[in-house]
Amino acid sequence: MTRGYLIRRLLAIFLVLAIVTFAVFAITTVLPGNAAIMILGEYATPDAVAALERQLNLDQPWYMQYFNWVAGILRGDLGMSLRLSLPVSQVVGEAFLNSALLGATALVAVTVIAIPLGALAALKRGTAVDLAIGLFSYLGTALPEFVTATLLLVFLAAPNSGIFPAGGFVAPWGNIGGFAYHVALPAFTLGLILLAHISRQVRSEMAEVLSSDYIRAARLKGLTERRVIRRHALPNSLAPAVAVISLDIGYLLGGIIVVEEIFAWPGLGRLLMYALENRDLPVIQAVTLLLAGVYALSNLISDIVIAMLDPRVRYA
Amino acid sequence: MTPSLNPAVTETTKPALAIRNYSLSYRTANGIVAALKNIDLTIGKGQTVGLVGESGSGKSSMAWSIMRYLPPNAVEDGGAIRLAGEEILDYTPRQMADIRGRRMAMVFQDPSTSLNPTIRLGEQIGEVLMRHRGLTKVEAMQEAEAALARTGITRPKEMLQRYPHEASGGEKQRVVIATAFACEPELIIFDEPTTALDILTARQILDLFNQLREETNVSALYISHDLGLVSRVVDEVSVLHKGGIVESGRVDDVFRRPKADYTRQLIGAVPNPDRWIGIDAPANPDPLISLETIGVHYNAPTMLQKIFQPKEAEKAGFWGAKNVSMEVRKGELLGVVGESGSGKSTIAKVLAGLQDFDGKLQFDGKTFGSRKDIDRAYRRRVQLVFQHPDASLNPRQTIGTIIGRPLKLYGIVPADKVATRVAELLEMVRLPADYARRHPHQLSGGEKQRVAIARAFAAEPDLVICDEVTAALDVSVQAAVAELLVKLQKETGTACVFITHDLNLIRQLAHRIAVMHHGALVDFFDGPDARADDRDPYTKALLDAVPVHADMEAFDVA
Repeated sequence: MTRGYLIRRLLAIFLVLAIVTFAVFAITTVLPGNAAIMILGEYATPDAVAALERQLNLDQPWYMQYFNWVAGILRGDLGMSLRLSLPVSQVVGEAFLNSALLGATALVAVTVIAIPLGALAALKRGTAVDLAIGLFSYLGTALPEFVTATLLLVFLAAPNSGIFPAGGFVAPWGNIGGFAYHVALPAFTLGLILLAHISRQVRSEMAEVLSSDYIRAARLKGLTERRVIRRHALPNSLAPAVAVISLDIGYLLGGIIVVEEIFAWPGLGRLLMYALENRDLPVIQAVTLLLAGVYALSNLISDIVIAMLDPRVRYA
Repeated sequence: MTPSLNPAVTETTKPALAIRNYSLSYRTANGIVAALKNIDLTIGKGQTVGLVGESGSGKSSMAWSIMRYLPPNAVEDGGAIRLAGEEILDYTPRQMADIRGRRMAMVFQDPSTSLNPTIRLGEQIGEVLMRHRGLTKVEAMQEAEAALARTGITRPKEMLQRYPHEASGGEKQRVVIATAFACEPELIIFDEPTTALDILTARQILDLFNQLREETNVSALYISHDLGLVSRVVDEVSVLHKGGIVESGRVDDVFRRPKADYTRQLIGAVPNPDRWIGIDAPANPDPLISLETIGVHYNAPTMLQKIFQPKEAEKAGFWGAKNVSMEVRKGELLGVVGESGSGKSTIAKVLAGLQDFDGKLQFDGKTFGSRKDIDRAYRRRVQLVFQHPDASLNPRQTIGTIIGRPLKLYGIVPADKVATRVAELLEMVRLPADYARRHPHQLSGGEKQRVAIARAFAAEPDLVICDEVTAALDVSVQAAVAELLVKLQKETGTACVFITHDLNLIRQLAHRIAVMHHGALVDFFDGPDARADDRDPYTKALLDAVPVHADMEAFDVA
C-alpha cells in the first residue's frame, strides 16, 4: 500500500462527505415544519417568527444557508443547537463518545465471539456442534433489535428479576464495572444480529480454506493440527470477515438508534431522535454527517486490515 | 539376523516402501466404488518407481493411502503398507503426523496452490525443520536457505523473505521440493510435479529431481500420466488401470515389450512426432485469413491516466500480443505453440472476434480494423473450440440443443431438419445419435469435447480454432480427439488453427507451425522443418525440453 493510495482514499472520503453535506442539507431543508415556529410554539406572532428566522439566517436563500453551514464546518464551527442552547460540537461530541463506547463494545464482543464460533463450525462441519452454532446465529439475525431488546428487558431487567438495569449509562472512566453492567444488554442486542453475519462468513471461508491444497500440504508436512489451524487456516479465513465487519458497521449505525432509544443510552441515536422531533436542524445535520464519516472511515480501515492479512492484496 | 543364502533377498527384505495386496474403496451415494484393487508395489532403497495411469485410474488414491491421508468415506479392504518394514496401516494419526514430512514427504502437482499464499516461503520450509528436527527459528532459516540453495535457487536468502505470489512457478516448485527434502526423508512421493509447469520449467525441475535423487539416494514414487516423461526419471514402472496394476517391471522392458494390452494402448497414444497423422497439405496455398501487425494491450492505460500520470501509464498493462502478422491458408492445419502467457490464446480470441485488437484482420477479401467490425457472417465462418468442454457446454441444455443452436442461429438447415442434422453431426464425431437427448454431465471428458467439436463444425465454418482442446484430456483420449479433427478436416476441407503446448502432438498434425513467446511471433515454419538448423533458439529450446523416450522411435507400436 503506497502513501499515494492512502492520500487518494482520504481525498475520496472528503469528496463523499462533501456530497453527503449537500444531501443532508437538502433533506433537512425540505423537512416539513418551520424551525422558528417549532421553537416559538404554535401561537407565536408572525413578527416574532420573522425575527427569529432572521436571527437563524432562515430568511436567506438556501444556497447561502448551505454555504454558511459548510463554511462553518470547515472552521470547526457547527453552530448552536436550536433547542439546547449549547454549541452543536459539544452536544454531538458527548453523544458520539457514548455511542462509540456502545458500538465498540458490541463490535469487539461480536468479533471475539463470532470468529472462533465460525472457525469451530467449519472444523466440525456437518456435526451437531455446527448445526447448533448455525441455528443460534441465524436466530439472532432473524430477531430484530426491538424484539431482542424487549425480550431481554422482560427476562433480565424486569423488576422481579432485575439482574441488569433496564436502561441508563455509566461512564467507564473510573467505574468500569458500572459501565459493563449497563452496557451488557444494549451491546448484546446489537451484537446478536451481527453474530450470524460474521460467524457464517468465517465458517464458509474457513471451510473452503480447510479443503484447499495448501492445508493438505501443511498436514502432509506433519505439522501439528494446532499449527495447521492457527497459522495456516485461520489467517486466510479472516480477510472476508473483516470486509463483512466493515459493512456491518453501517448496519450497526442504524441499529444503535433503535437500541439507544430502548435502553435510554445517551448517544447519537437518542440525540438524533430528539433533534428530529424538535427540528433542531444544526444537530440533525451534524449527526448525519458524522455517521457518514464514520462509515467511510471504517471502510478505509477495513481495506488496510485486509491488506495486512493478505500480502497478495496491493493497493497502488 | 541370520545370514541369508541369497544376498539379494537380504537386500530386499526391508525395501523403503512395500505395498502388499492392498485394496481401497470409497463409500459414495451410488454404493461402494473400488479405487484400488490388490496392489503390490515395492520401492527399494534409493530406487525410483513410476506409477503411470490416466485420470480415475487410482494413482492419486495410492498416494493418499501411503501418506495415510484418506477422506472419511474411504474404506480400506486389507493388505499392508510398510515403510522400511514398519506396518504404517496400524499407526495412529499422531504417529503418522510424526512420520509425515520427516520420513516421507510429498511434492504436489501445482506449486501455486500447495503453498500457503499468506506465509513467507522461508517459514513454509522452516516450519518442517522446527517441527521434526526441533530447530529454533534462526537455525531453521539457515537450514532452509541451504536447502533452497541445493535446489538451484540463485538467491536463496532473498527467496526466504518472499511470498508465493512473488515467485515464479519454477521457483515455487523448487521451494516445495526443498521442503520435501529438508528432513532427508526415506521416501518422497512426487505427484505429477511438472504437469502444472511450463515446458522449459518442467524440464529444469526434472533435471533437478534427477540430480537430488543422485545426491541423496532417496527412494521415490513418481506418479504421472505422461509415459514419455516417466521413462526419463524412473528405474521401474507400474501401470495402473481402473484401480489395478496391469503391468510392472523395469522401465525399458515395459516400454519395449509391453505385455498388457492397456500398456500397449497407452504407449501407442503417446504422440510421436515422427508419425504423421494429418492430412496432405493443401495443393494451392490460398490465404484464408491474414493478421497484419495485430496487437492486444491488456489493461491499457485510460485516457485520464495518460494525461495525469504519464509515467505510470507507460508501464500500465501488458501486451498480450504485439506486432503479430501471419496468415492461415485454406484447408490447412496451422499449429500455434507457446508456453502459458505467450499470447497464443490471445491470438485465438482475436481470430474468433472475442478480443479488441490493434492492426488489421483480412478475411476473404474483407478487412476488419477492429473487433466491432466483425459481423455475423464472419462469426459463422470462424468457430472456436475451447479447452474445457465442462465450461463451454451449458450444463442445463441437452446435447441436441447445444449442437442444434448454431444450426438454428445461422439457418444452416430448415427447422424441421435440425434433429436429423444433429444426428448426422454426432455420427461425424463418432458419437451415438441418441446422445442428443443426454446432458453434458452424462458424458466423459473426451465425449464432451467431441460434442464441442460437433457444435463448431455445425456452423459449416471455413476455420475452426482449437484452443488447447486436448490439454484437459487423458493421453489415450487426446490421440483420438486429434485424429477426429483430422478426419473432419479431410471431410469438410475446413482450415484449422490448433493451439497447443504439446510439441510432439502438433508435429504429427500441423502443416505449418507458429511459435509464440511473450506475445511475439518468434518463429514460423513448415512442419517437417521443425528440426532445421535455422530455427529460432527458443524453438530449439522448446523442442529439446519435450520428453521423448529415447527408444520410442525404436519400437513400432502401431
